Amino acid sequence: MDLAEQVLMGDEKSAARLISLIERGNKGAYRELIKLLPYTHKTHVIGVTGPAGAGKSTLIGKLALSLCEEGAGVGVVAIDPTSIRSHGALLADRVRMKEVEMAGKAFIRSMADRDHPGGVCPAAAGAVSVISALGKQHIFIESVGAGQSDKAIFYLADTVITVFTPEFGDEIQLLKAGLLEIGDIVIVNKGDKASAEDALLAISEHVVQKGETTWKTPVLLVQAHTGQGIEELLAVIKAREEFLQKDGQGAKSRRDKTIIFMMALLKEEVWSRLAGHFPQDAGISRIIEEVSSDKLDLYSAVDLIAQNIEMKVLSGHQ
Amino acid sequence: MGRNNPIRVLMGKPGLDGHDVGAKVVSMALRDAGMEVIYSGLHSTVDEIVQMAVQEGVDVIGLSILSNAHLPIAKKIISKLKEKGLSDVPVVMGGVIPKGDISLLKEYGIAEVCPFSTPLNKVVEAVSKVAQSKG
Repeated sequence: MDLAEQVLMGDEKSAARLISLIERGNKGAYRELIKLLPYTHKTHVIGVTGPAGAGKSTLIGKLALSLCEEGAGVGVVAIDPTSIRSHGALLADRVRMKEVEMAGKAFIRSMADRDHPGGVCPAAAGAVSVISALGKQHIFIESVGAGQSDKAIFYLADTVITVFTPEFGDEIQLLKAGLLEIGDIVIVNKGDKASAEDALLAISEHVVQKGETTWKTPVLLVQAHTGQGIEELLAVIKAREEFLQKDGQGAKSRRDKTIIFMMALLKEEVWSRLAGHFPQDAGISRIIEEVSSDKLDLYSAVDLIAQNIEMKVLSGHQ
Repeated sequence: MGRNNPIRVLMGKPGLDGHDVGAKVVSMALRDAGMEVIYSGLHSTVDEIVQMAVQEGVDVIGLSILSNAHLPIAKKIISKLKEKGLSDVPVVMGGVIPKGDISLLKEYGIAEVCPFSTPLNKVVEAVSKVAQSKG
């Protein structure tokens, strides 16, 4: 029996192995992944993002536990940062998911971002497909503790939950584009703090209601560590799931997002393959040298190198 | 092993003692040596640790034990790993472990033992070595 078949039979060990192989860029693993794709459409993929320490893991732990208790299958992909110095990582989101761990019913996978920009790792998409094929109806992806531009999770999830705390800053922060914009559900966690109600009001005023859909982004106050507000949040998540199923919008938006994520990976792959050849290319080396010696500005250099590569690609086609 | 294929280690803290400074210090040392370390958190049961090892697809399991329960825990984890088809995942044990127990732990199937006061670089070496032997 191959790995894909074993995953479809619900074997967690095979699922874990397949995810590891995808992380390593194993081409055989990609062939197994293709076999799983038809079985991955029934899952609601929920991305959870927000700054470090906002309570993302604790929130996911609570939601996962409630869903497990209802009898649903739950998966979690929890991403933490890779050290730029050692390329190692300490993955510790699981520590906050103790209750669901003890219940023993969820499939949780910790991943390092492997220096990938945007708050998620390339293999996260594959991991979601594998866990979905295990038969999990709900999968949470936890992004790296996010800064203002870590928005890649939007392309991996059907629904994005943005987690803020009462210490989000001031109104000016909310006027900027960023995490608030990608949230389909917005949470103010640590609702027991004195300023929580004010934060809820301010954030509610600035939530971006997306023109293109009829989904209205709710803003909720929760206290993840005590479980307060979790029930309301679960009801909202289920309403969102129904909304996505209703007019086939969910499926279309997922297809579109997959292509955008693919293009982002392609951009990096093409770059890393091409850049390796630069030292051997006399033309490009000369341009780089001219920038080093102040004979050329960096913008012209970028334009010239891009032209140089474009010409080679086009001539290859003729 | 290498940049695209770092060693994945589960750092488990089984049992009732609440002292995880050692587990954290070793986790940081392994991280700084380029490994991906998944930390289980305090008071994990052997069943939970084995479940984590299954889902995380780790190359090595490290256990930090200061409660003097290393012998029964070693016996239990080796048999649970076997039950789950993970006999090929080596277990490295550290913490307060009397020198006299080391040979017994190895007899049980523990791959390496790094008792109290083992230098961090030796712990890193031990983990790398058993990860490589797993292949």
